[in-house]
Amino acid sequence: MPSVAPVRRFLPLLAWFGWSAGLALLSARGAESAPASGGGTVTGRVTYKADSARPWPLGRYYLSGGALAEAVVAIDGPGLSAPASTPKTIWMDQNNFQFVPEIAAIRAGDSVRFTNSDEALHNVMTFQGPEPFNVNLMQGREHTHLFASGRGLEQQILLTCVYHAAMRGWVYVFEHPFYAVTPKDGAFRLENVPPGEYQLRVVHPAGELSWQQTVTVKSGAPLEIEIALSPDQKKK
Amino acid sequence: MTRRDLLKAGFATAAAGLTLPLWKAFALPPAKPGEELVPFLNMPRTPPNRLDWEMLQDWLTPQDQVFGVQHYGIPEFDESKFRLEITGLVNKPMTFTMEQLRARAKKDQLMTLECSGNGSSPGFMNAVYNSKWTGTLLAPILKECGIKPGAKEIVFFGKDKQEELLRPATKRELKVEVPFGRSMSVDDALSENLMLAYDRNGAPLLKANGAPLRLIVPGWYGVANVKWLTRIDVRNRRYMGKYMGRDYVTVRGERRADGIEYVESSVTRIRLKSVIGRVTRQPAQNGQIPLRAIGAAWNDGTEITKVEVKVDGGEWRSAVLDKTPHEKFCWRFFSIDLGNLAPGKHTLVSRAFDAAGHVQPAAEDDEIALKKTYWEAYQQWPREIELA
Repeated sequence: MPSVAPVRRFLPLLAWFGWSAGLALLSARGAESAPASGGGTVTGRVTYKADSARPWPLGRYYLSGGALAEAVVAIDGPGLSAPASTPKTIWMDQNNFQFVPEIAAIRAGDSVRFTNSDEALHNVMTFQGPEPFNVNLMQGREHTHLFASGRGLEQQILLTCVYHAAMRGWVYVFEHPFYAVTPKDGAFRLENVPPGEYQLRVVHPAGELSWQQTVTVKSGAPLEIEIALSPDQKKK
Repeated sequence: MTRRDLLKAGFATAAAGLTLPLWKAFALPPAKPGEELVPFLNMPRTPPNRLDWEMLQDWLTPQDQVFGVQHYGIPEFDESKFRLEITGLVNKPMTFTMEQLRARAKKDQLMTLECSGNGSSPGFMNAVYNSKWTGTLLAPILKECGIKPGAKEIVFFGKDKQEELLRPATKRELKVEVPFGRSMSVDDALSENLMLAYDRNGAPLLKANGAPLRLIVPGWYGVANVKWLTRIDVRNRRYMGKYMGRDYVTVRGERRADGIEYVESSVTRIRLKSVIGRVTRQPAQNGQIPLRAIGAAWNDGTEITKVEVKVDGGEWRSAVLDKTPHEKFCWRFFSIDLGNLAPGKHTLVSRAFDAAGHVQPAAEDDEIALKKTYWEAYQQWPREIELA
């Protein structure tokens, strides 16, 4: 299979579609989960300090005044549990030859509804996750996939389009609600976290950045943390 | 100091005896004070391993912007046992180790390599890169082997193989494992400066780029540059492998007196193309925004004579073609000061001309509009911007 797959048919260039820059980041539940009695709060901001010796040109999509957008922040640790919740469905479009949004964090049991707003035939495919899938999407069609289980930041689910290899999207599926995707200001807020010691982790799949730190969450004592990333956190 | 001055200074330094050759010293000068990138509205985010047009800077493409295509995946094999065979209609079949090939006369080839599907969709105009290949020429090897009379084609086989299904869902369905192969006429193979390359940009080839040996065909689309090249076979019949006979075939309508007739042809030499790469602006002056653009134009090695740029529905205006670096099979950078534009949305587009009389067509022109397949997508490439 070609790693750069050409499209199946030619599209006149004038058939551009308007590209909405409104890349609303999807965090289906995150901090909106049902409160756990006596839980703590973890808040903060993810930043990125650029290094001209190790430039990240694509950072222009994700950096604003040093704040890092589209990073997934989550806590991880043994015994982390939360009450079951009502499954939700989030929307990921294929628009102007990219996944919009490119990244989604959801809870196990949630679904993602994929649509195609382009004239071209697209496809959504992943080899990863407990249930790999591969489906073609004509313009106006949709496909909803249930992500029944997941391993949080341990398992990124990379989405691609077999016809347009430049298209990338990511889904992270959590067994708990303590996760967030950073918006443009890099801020995150995890609420009702059961007291305990955890790993606070950050992954930025597009930038191949990964960070973690041990944190202790206490009831009634909000924890605020600035997470300063740099090229040092780039996966080797 | 103007950009032109900077370029002159850079090349004067290089020419003064530094070890770097001219082309290696070349990169566009850094942005002027107050100069800002104007992002394109109609270009999806650039992923890694693709050319990042908005950040176009280096004439030689950085490794992290180099694309790769494999049709049968990256083959697994023991490179220490790698051999290149010359077989078929030759007086003296030969086999080479990499050491023997590296010991032969060495040649550098600067070349722009483009995927023939590049430009076939709005999300796919970034599979092109410029680099220096090093290897040994094929023609002397073929001469040593002695091509027999009657030879018509030379086939280049890679080590990558895959099962192909022929005549599917018919009584004569056939499943057979075949190596990736491409071919060209004996005349083309002897006259096109074909090279057996083992280094790129001064370092051994990467496996994904075809290591240890890749055929380099200057001026031809990427598919002709067979990776993991392991056998060169001289034949007296047309080779009709999938990627010669069925894929990489352009279907184009041609106007005849009684209507349009569709003709299939092989994807071979790179068509003339230009693309606006990076657009920058200066702070507004009296409500108008100074704008400039740079880009690249390339083809099969025919001299590029002119690039023009048009803003919205205005007149075509000549861009400045960089005099250096200027290598036959490489892209040429161009630049143009677009003057002061009003705030709002604008469309910029370029077109190239070459010495053979080719003019890069618009998407609506027959040679593009009547093309039914996606390869050879060399139509003009409008860029949309918004000035605030």
